[in-house]
Amino acid sequence: MNVPVVAEAEPTAPAVAATEVRVAQVRVPEISAAGVPVSEVIADAADGERSIVAFLCRECAYSAADAAGNARTSLPPTIRTIMVPCTGRVSPLHLLAALAEGADGVYVAGCLEGQCHHRVGNFHALDRVAFVRRLLRSVGVEPERAAMFTMSAADTPRFVATARGMDATISQLPRLPRS
Amino acid sequence: MTRCGVFLCECGGNISGVLDLPALAAGGRSLDGVVNVTVSQFLCGAEGRRLIEGVVADRGLDRIVIGSCSRRFQGPTFERIARDLELGENTVAFANLREGCAFIHRHEPEKAQRKAETVLAAAVARAGRQRPLQPSRTFLNRSALVVGGGIAGLSAAEELAGAGITVHLVERGQSLGGYMARLSKTFPTEDCAMCSLGPRLANAATDSRINVHTLTEVTGLSGPPGEFRVRLRHSPRFVSDQCVGCGTCTAVCPVELESEFDLGVTRRKAISRPFANAVPSTFAIDNRGWAPCTSTCPAHTAAQGYIALAAQGRWAEAYRVASAPNPFPSVCGRICPHECEEQCTRGRLDQPVAIAAIKRFVADQAGAADPVEPPVRRFEDRVAVVGAGPAGLTAARDLALLGYPVTVFEAQGVAGGMLRLGVPEYRLPRDVVASEVERVLAHGVELRAGERCGHDYTVDSLLASGYRAVLLALGLPQARLLPLEGRELPGVIGGLDLLRSRALGDPIAVGRCVVVVGGGDVAVDAARTALRLGAERVTIACIEDRATLPAQPGELAEAIAEGVELAPSLMPVALLGDGALSSIRFQPCTLAEPDARGWRPPEPSAGEPVEVEADTVVFCVGQALGEDALAGAAGVAVAGGRIVVDRETMMTGRRGVFAAGDAAGGGLIAIEAIAAGARAARGIHNHLRGEALLDVWPVERERAEVSDLELSRRRSRPRQEMRVIPPEERRTSWQEVRLGFTEEEALAEARRCLSCGGCSECRSCEQACPAGAIDLTQKPWEEELTVGALIVATGHQEFDARRKPPLGYGRYANVLTQSQLARLLSASGPTGGELRRPSDGQVPKRVFMLQCVGSRDSTSRGNEHCSAICCLFATLHASLIRESYPGTQVTIAYTDLRMPGKGHEEYLKLVAERGVRYVRSRVGELAEEQDKSLRVRWEDTVTGGKHEELFDLVVLSAGLEASAGTTQIARVIGLQQGAAGFLKEYHPKLRPVDSQRAGIFIAGTAQGPKGIPETIAQAKAAAARVTSMLHGGMAATPVEVAFSDPDVCIGCGVCVSVCPQGAVRLVDGGRVHALVDQASCRGCGICAAECPSGAMTVGGFSDAALLAEATV
Repeated sequence: MNVPVVAEAEPTAPAVAATEVRVAQVRVPEISAAGVPVSEVIADAADGERSIVAFLCRECAYSAADAAGNARTSLPPTIRTIMVPCTGRVSPLHLLAALAEGADGVYVAGCLEGQCHHRVGNFHALDRVAFVRRLLRSVGVEPERAAMFTMSAADTPRFVATARGMDATISQLPRLPRS
Repeated sequence: MTRCGVFLCECGGNISGVLDLPALAAGGRSLDGVVNVTVSQFLCGAEGRRLIEGVVADRGLDRIVIGSCSRRFQGPTFERIARDLELGENTVAFANLREGCAFIHRHEPEKAQRKAETVLAAAVARAGRQRPLQPSRTFLNRSALVVGGGIAGLSAAEELAGAGITVHLVERGQSLGGYMARLSKTFPTEDCAMCSLGPRLANAATDSRINVHTLTEVTGLSGPPGEFRVRLRHSPRFVSDQCVGCGTCTAVCPVELESEFDLGVTRRKAISRPFANAVPSTFAIDNRGWAPCTSTCPAHTAAQGYIALAAQGRWAEAYRVASAPNPFPSVCGRICPHECEEQCTRGRLDQPVAIAAIKRFVADQAGAADPVEPPVRRFEDRVAVVGAGPAGLTAARDLALLGYPVTVFEAQGVAGGMLRLGVPEYRLPRDVVASEVERVLAHGVELRAGERCGHDYTVDSLLASGYRAVLLALGLPQARLLPLEGRELPGVIGGLDLLRSRALGDPIAVGRCVVVVGGGDVAVDAARTALRLGAERVTIACIEDRATLPAQPGELAEAIAEGVELAPSLMPVALLGDGALSSIRFQPCTLAEPDARGWRPPEPSAGEPVEVEADTVVFCVGQALGEDALAGAAGVAVAGGRIVVDRETMMTGRRGVFAAGDAAGGGLIAIEAIAAGARAARGIHNHLRGEALLDVWPVERERAEVSDLELSRRRSRPRQEMRVIPPEERRTSWQEVRLGFTEEEALAEARRCLSCGGCSECRSCEQACPAGAIDLTQKPWEEELTVGALIVATGHQEFDARRKPPLGYGRYANVLTQSQLARLLSASGPTGGELRRPSDGQVPKRVFMLQCVGSRDSTSRGNEHCSAICCLFATLHASLIRESYPGTQVTIAYTDLRMPGKGHEEYLKLVAERGVRYVRSRVGELAEEQDKSLRVRWEDTVTGGKHEELFDLVVLSAGLEASAGTTQIARVIGLQQGAAGFLKEYHPKLRPVDSQRAGIFIAGTAQGPKGIPETIAQAKAAAARVTSMLHGGMAATPVEVAFSDPDVCIGCGVCVSVCPQGAVRLVDGGRVHALVDQASCRGCGICAAECPSGAMTVGGFSDAALLAEATV
């Protein structure tokens, strides 16, 4: 039987990728229940406004977001932020549930490497996001729908750039169907 | 179902200018669980508060959703309202409509409105899943532990005590004072450091709320903030509180060590006090354990002690130390195989110290004149000692010293046992043995010679005649003969018989060709004796090969030099002869693998049997108990030819009967027999007194080791070789072969000792102390304290300038560091404040100071940071030198002059005007001249010019690094260290004296380089943090902490391994489950995200709440 295989494109790098998660390059053939490649199913889904859920750590990323707001910086309305005490609190479940329930992209943003207020929370988050990306790829979903960024609380420009970059990335992708 | 009220804030148009709030409110009313939606102009003000209070009461709300600015701004305001309304913690949810929506989507109001609807729905959904939480309250112990007794620790302790908090001030060293105590004066005021430190020290010593623990280290920390449990390890001071600080002890102490307080510019004694105002004011003994020689000696003789005294020519005192555990120092100085020398640390540098030879000289020199002290008290219990060998006589002397009347029974006509009858006189002259036996008898010991146990008397008869205890130190006087064919031939004799006959002057003849069978010391003694008795050819034949021969190598070498032949790896199989011995037949052999007892029986190997001509064969193949010796000693068991004793009491199977020495041990060297005799004496004393008054086995101390690094700094000095009679002269002579040391040789050899143990345990101080304060029995002890908070003020250390080899520090005598210079300039320092250069004690005329040594240095050998104080430190010292020695020029070579701060620039101007030359420069290598002056080459970085000049003294401004103690405490209590080991603060600006761990604060140079005023300011800030933390005695635990449900937890322990605070542990409450210490938890939630069972959650951020918010 000729099994169709999802085209294994390199994940398109988001506009800002300084601290991008490195994802193991695994090729996992996957097809939908109907035998049609998953990407085609997705492409068929009704288009519309994208939705991105961002998990921001209370110490750095959320501060940077507030500072961007106070500066009246225009940001993509697709992005909705959720406060977490530390990026280490975010589990793969949270990211996958958001994607399953209507988000087209998710990301985690926290403190710079080595400056996590809980020492290692952001390293745990990096690992988990990498895991989610592998998982997405293995089921034929674009791994770049999940991302992780780090920034200092003062680095408003970086928060803005990462938010816009993520929005740009997700807008290139078709909408994800709600489960 | 929860009852949720939504409150939307217009924020004076900030939100309502972009969003249509009435429309948002209308949509909100249809959300699940929402019973009310209200819009207010300013929700955060008093009006908003009244509004919320009213609606909550009217509509019976149990959840509040706030649609306003970011939670980070007004969140606490609304949480407080909910708390005041007794809704519980975690009952408010937030929709960020300002920073998260209106502000950032001003140009897209439609999209902003749609997003606001989602954000609000998410907040409402989240509120429905938020479980109200009750904060627990924790007890706060109103006490604090301050680690580090420098100016930071002292200032913090003083401040805390002033606030009524009990302080435990812990210091590793023997005195409080820290680095500041070493300084001469302080900048920019040039006031004396001790003048400002002294009152702080006095205060710490006298304030009843400050408990000072010196010589103490923190070894563990557990428990939550407010109730930390701290483990402390106290090292012994060996000086009790009775010390009056008179200093008599230092005068008599023979051990000199490098002074840490004076940073190596001078030496101190092993008992010392770093400075006059030390707190506590008592002296302390630097005892690093037993030196390897003492550890190794079976009697644990304080060898380092008599060597230290010998090095000063204090022979009588040295004899006291050498003879304390051993009545035969003169004997042992001659015949001991001295395993102590094999272990001597000096052997790692050049050759071991000739310990035995020094001991011999000491004993020969001072033994005769040593007074015999009467016992302190007397007992009436008579003790019989059977056997006047080293074990028996040692026990007799020790028992006599303890106050017992002792009678020694000896089978032979003379006392001394094997020392007198076994060891030949060319090794151990008879008068040497006789005089030491005499000294034992001088203690009032009665000797009954010529009476044999089992023949003239028995154990039974001794006990019946009134002896309360009997010690069997019978030895093994019987030579063993091998059961070979031809054994009965004339000319076959036992080695012991040969030696004994010679020693007693009995007639004895050996033939022309003598073969000695055996490989031990007795065989060598027998061979050399046979040679001196006129044998022409003497052969030692043994089953061992050359390498494993048990005889002392020195003795064997001397025997071979005298002409004795060695025939190894041969086992005797037959003695041949017709009526008289003519030869002995051997079979070549090897030794089998050791059996269970370690005995290696010979096994014949290939090869033809060898026949050796012999008219005399001497068997030296083992010894046995005398026949009948144990007749009339029922209950005394014998196993393997040895009397069985209980190891702990030295008692045999019969009560009141003890045994020691060869008879109980077998194959002992003299010092082992002596140690056994001493143990028996203590065992008998304990038995007669009916309680364990003395340790039968000495309590061993840790072995002191000298590190390779330390060793590498010592100069090599060869060992004194002892003169001997030449072999050709001595093979026919009974004169002592080894001639001993001269006084000069003994002194020179004793001075080679490295003083490994620090204190040598010579006990000179104990004898000299008028207050009786010396207590060498003190041991380290641990304790656990409960304290509410910790302040870590463990300070800094100077950068080790040896890491910069071109600067010559440690190699060139006249290169010092600023801290060492501070000691030389200090009125209380080693030179009384006079500047004298180390090489020749002259006042230097030209002084060169080099800045930034190890600081502002990005090479791997240095530190990147600026050490902050060095420019001023050098300026201060330059000023002090110019003031006292106007004829001395001072040059300061700097990278940049950095001295911001109050009065600092003014001070620099003043000092520059006093004639100090400042040159901005880069310095190359330093070279030492013939007269120890230093040639310095530098490049002027302003003009680019190259310079070369001679200086009498070079002072390096070595930078600051975190102290070793800082690194140690950081490891123990889990603090983060940054570059150069300095402790990391929680937030460099906002929480500069908080550590990463709750309840632990940091101050002083442990946090970073800084001067004294900033150090004190930080210390007082840390004290203020502790005071505010502990104020009230109770604290509410934050609710946003982790919690594990014991019913769901599977006990996998992932949470324990990921927690950055160490706040989770596994407990076994019927079933293993995780338990979070909520006072230590900081609520990061890593554990909750990792938990595979879903048992772990975080207050305010449960999976349910987060998922509700994320999936709207």
